Amino acid sequence: MVTAVEIPTGNTPALTPARRGFWRNLWRVLRRKPTRVAGAVIVALFVVMGVVGPFLYPANLPTDPGNAYAGPSGSHLLGTDFQGTDVLALLVTGSRYVLVAAVIAAACTVVVGTGIGLYAGYRRGGPDSVLMRITDFIITIPGLPLLLVLSTLWKYSNPLTMGLVLGVTGWGSVARAVRSQTLSLRERGFIEAARGLGLSTAHVVRKELLPNVAPYVAMNLLISVTVYIYLEVGLFFLGVLPFNENNWGVMISQAVQNGVTQTGQGLAYLLSPLVAILLLTLGIVLLVDAMDEVFNPRLRED
Amino acid sequence: MIHKKRSLDGATRESLDRATNGTGTDGTGTDGTGTDGTGTAGAIEARGIVKSFKARGDVLAGRTVRALRGVDFRIPPGGAASFIGESGCGKTTLGRILAGVESFDSGELVLGGVPLAGLAPRKRAPHFRRVQLIHQDPYSALNPTRTVESILRDPLALRAKQTGQSRAWIDGRAREVLDLVGLDPGYVLPRFPHQLSGGMRQRVVIARALTVDPAALVADEAVSMIDVSLRLGVLNLLRELRSTLGVSVLFITHDVATARYIGADGELYVIYRGEIVEHGPTETVLADPVHPYTQCLLSAIPVLHGVEQPGADRLAPTEPLDESQPEDGCLFAARCPFATDRCRTEHPELGHLGGTAHEHACFYPQRRSVVATPLADT
Amino acid sequence: MTAATQATTSTAAAAPPAVTIRDLTIVYRTPAGELPAVSGVDLDLPPGTITGLVGESGSGKSTLALSLLGAVQRPGRIAAGSIHVDGLGNLVELSAKSLQEARGGEIGYVFQAAQNSLNPLKTVGKQLLDLGRSHGVRDRTALVRSAKELLAGMGLDAARVLDSYQHELSGGMRQRVGIMFALVLNAHVLVLDEPTTALDMISQANVLKIVRAVHTERGLTTLLVTHDIGVVAEVAERIAVMYGGVVVEQGETADVLRAPKHPYARALINAIPRVSGDLSAARPLPGRPPTLGTIPTRGCVFRERCAVYAERQLPACVAEQPPLAPVADGSGRLVACHAVAVEDQQATGETA
Repeated sequence: MVTAVEIPTGNTPALTPARRGFWRNLWRVLRRKPTRVAGAVIVALFVVMGVVGPFLYPANLPTDPGNAYAGPSGSHLLGTDFQGTDVLALLVTGSRYVLVAAVIAAACTVVVGTGIGLYAGYRRGGPDSVLMRITDFIITIPGLPLLLVLSTLWKYSNPLTMGLVLGVTGWGSVARAVRSQTLSLRERGFIEAARGLGLSTAHVVRKELLPNVAPYVAMNLLISVTVYIYLEVGLFFLGVLPFNENNWGVMISQAVQNGVTQTGQGLAYLLSPLVAILLLTLGIVLLVDAMDEVFNPRLRED
Repeated sequence: MIHKKRSLDGATRESLDRATNGTGTDGTGTDGTGTDGTGTAGAIEARGIVKSFKARGDVLAGRTVRALRGVDFRIPPGGAASFIGESGCGKTTLGRILAGVESFDSGELVLGGVPLAGLAPRKRAPHFRRVQLIHQDPYSALNPTRTVESILRDPLALRAKQTGQSRAWIDGRAREVLDLVGLDPGYVLPRFPHQLSGGMRQRVVIARALTVDPAALVADEAVSMIDVSLRLGVLNLLRELRSTLGVSVLFITHDVATARYIGADGELYVIYRGEIVEHGPTETVLADPVHPYTQCLLSAIPVLHGVEQPGADRLAPTEPLDESQPEDGCLFAARCPFATDRCRTEHPELGHLGGTAHEHACFYPQRRSVVATPLADT
Repeated sequence: MTAATQATTSTAAAAPPAVTIRDLTIVYRTPAGELPAVSGVDLDLPPGTITGLVGESGSGKSTLALSLLGAVQRPGRIAAGSIHVDGLGNLVELSAKSLQEARGGEIGYVFQAAQNSLNPLKTVGKQLLDLGRSHGVRDRTALVRSAKELLAGMGLDAARVLDSYQHELSGGMRQRVGIMFALVLNAHVLVLDEPTTALDMISQANVLKIVRAVHTERGLTTLLVTHDIGVVAEVAERIAVMYGGVVVEQGETADVLRAPKHPYARALINAIPRVSGDLSAARPLPGRPPTLGTIPTRGCVFRERCAVYAERQLPACVAEQPPLAPVADGSGRLVACHAVAVEDQQATGETA
């Protein structure tokens, strides 16, 4: 219905210091809700795990066939796998590939998608039509089969390759969404004013449009990380991709192939990577909620 | 003839130099720019501007709407011209054409003494830059994610790059333009638009326009979204800028009283369906309108009963504008209380009333006193 | 008998109801605690009159208008006071169900920007039937008939309008459709929130003419909320001026416009440029209107911008908000100003 009054976001809105660094803004916004702090802690834990984790374990994890499918215990917190390898060690060393590939893919998506969306929306006309046809083409490419076909060329042994392939095929919807936001922003007076003042297209796109689509882009960045994790894990789970490195998808695939779902033996082995994925997704979802406030000075005030 | 052409070319070059290289006297500050503005700005003139749109998404979908049907006007440097008319009459389009954000189909535009007809689009830009648009909604006209300081800095930085000015000049100039619009730089610079009142936001918009030393401001309903108690402050500011900087003001509104406040000493143009139907010195047209459309428009202004008495000949409100009404004959004939058969078949041209500066496009011009006047005892 | 049949049979039979608002306080929950948007407002809408409620942004006028509809939305709530409407009782104490019936039933409301408040996906006629259904109207023919009568009375082609979508109507037409929706269930209290804001002068004059006509024809008690004193001057018998959540002056429109007593009312009227007369008579008002967070919590809400306070510095102005009290001249004018009260006392002291 009608909002009859403008609810002040703070007790002395006119007096709050206006400019702060991005990180300080982020911290202030996160502090406002405990759920956001929780989300940030979870995400930070996974980042640390991906960066530091693999250094904590030897390159080749020890096996102990006599102790396969063990349940959680003091020496093996999350139990062991079919070879008797520690599941926690597998989980930690396997996180890097998954996370790096997902982050690279998300970064690709956002950079390419935002760039194309902004440019097409701002220029309209010919460039817009051409870019949107390309975007539609990208959107219609069935991602999974393409990845399978490409697996004959690349072995995805490197998370960089994996991330690039995922990112390059996945930016379509972001580009479309950013374009439509840009089209509506374009009609706002400040864009017209910037052009009227003789400011360049690069300026308008970078300094006028980008900050206004930033919350949207940041949300997309975070959410596409989770989407790409699912996609990667799915690919490895299917086992269609050859692998020569340990990762979460491989863990699930191995657990299922070794009959954990039938026997129930070594359940911790199957559940650990699944719970890790769920936890990371939860952390990211909790963080997404803060993005609007981080980038919008009006919502950012105490 | 040849001499005249050469002097025009001279003006072209001079004006281009100004626009692309800056005035060179900017460093001396406000006064320098001000006198400079009056000195070389020249008039703004429009001749026979025509603009059509393809209507979409409503009753008239697919039809061509003729937004402007050959509009002529002239504003001297530091002068004021007000355009009044209903919504949809083309007044907003006219302002946007002047500021270069909208193209036009035919006609000629002279900005700061320079005819744009012969110039390539790229060469036109610096001239259009000297006409700055002040939007109706000061909130949407300012980027919500940026502070006033960064909003003002960008156009100034561009300017500094072109003229080789220093960083200190940018800072100083940002404070100067805020001073000019009556804002305290210390308070305003670090703030975001939403932390300012409507009146302050509109002043920031005007300050931003002043960063390019404009010859003219096009104010399109510039105060209609501002609180009543703050409007007069913004209107006074526009009046001051006319006298101190020699900036001419083109005021577009449906609120006749604010148009009068800005340009009582200027010209008033009454525009109807893309055509000027009456024009003259503001006070003359308001006191003695001769075109029935002007009379209807002025009759629609609310009367402050108790303080004012309605004009003796005040007309009843006509039906609102309907673009599907016939276009042969006088465009206003279908709504005009005084229309005759001649009005429905023959199109009246704009002509002078008995040799005065007062122009009208009506076959039967008759003075009617429609505007409310103050009661004698107040 | 349904509301719709009443509408056709006994349009002006019932006497218009009186609306009496007493000590109404409406607060909004904010991060800084509960802040009053409307504080201790007394307002009378005498039966059969049009009252203009004038104020700037943040004055609380729209919140006050919404409270008449029993539709103050969270985070806002009515903290104290009563809204008495003849035939309905105290709205503050009504159950949710009776309030729902009163809305659009006895009390018609034309929303701010009514031009855009229609559902773009449904025709006007379809929305009319929806309204009837939600109010339990059984006689749909009678409902459509009374809608057509109203539309025709406002100079519209009723059949065509009912068959139109929002985008097929002009701004002025939509505003009339909004008025039709407010009145079709036979409302006797009409609240118009900024009815002419987005309209040009000619459409505004048309809408005001219609408001006047339906008001008289149907025997209504009307509240017109606006920031534009001209609109009030044109159609309203009475005017109430709001500032910072408080009614500062209330009286006959012509009286108040001729000789405003409250410094804010005076400054506001003086700040409007006119189409004739002396231009230099218009004076800007210093400062800015307060927002919910910046309304002074102690003393007079207008103190900071007040010319009289600047000159006379009455201690009372700092100490407390003056009550809305009758002026001594016997005109029935109510003013909330310490300085006016002091003058009145001196004047009566001298004559006594």
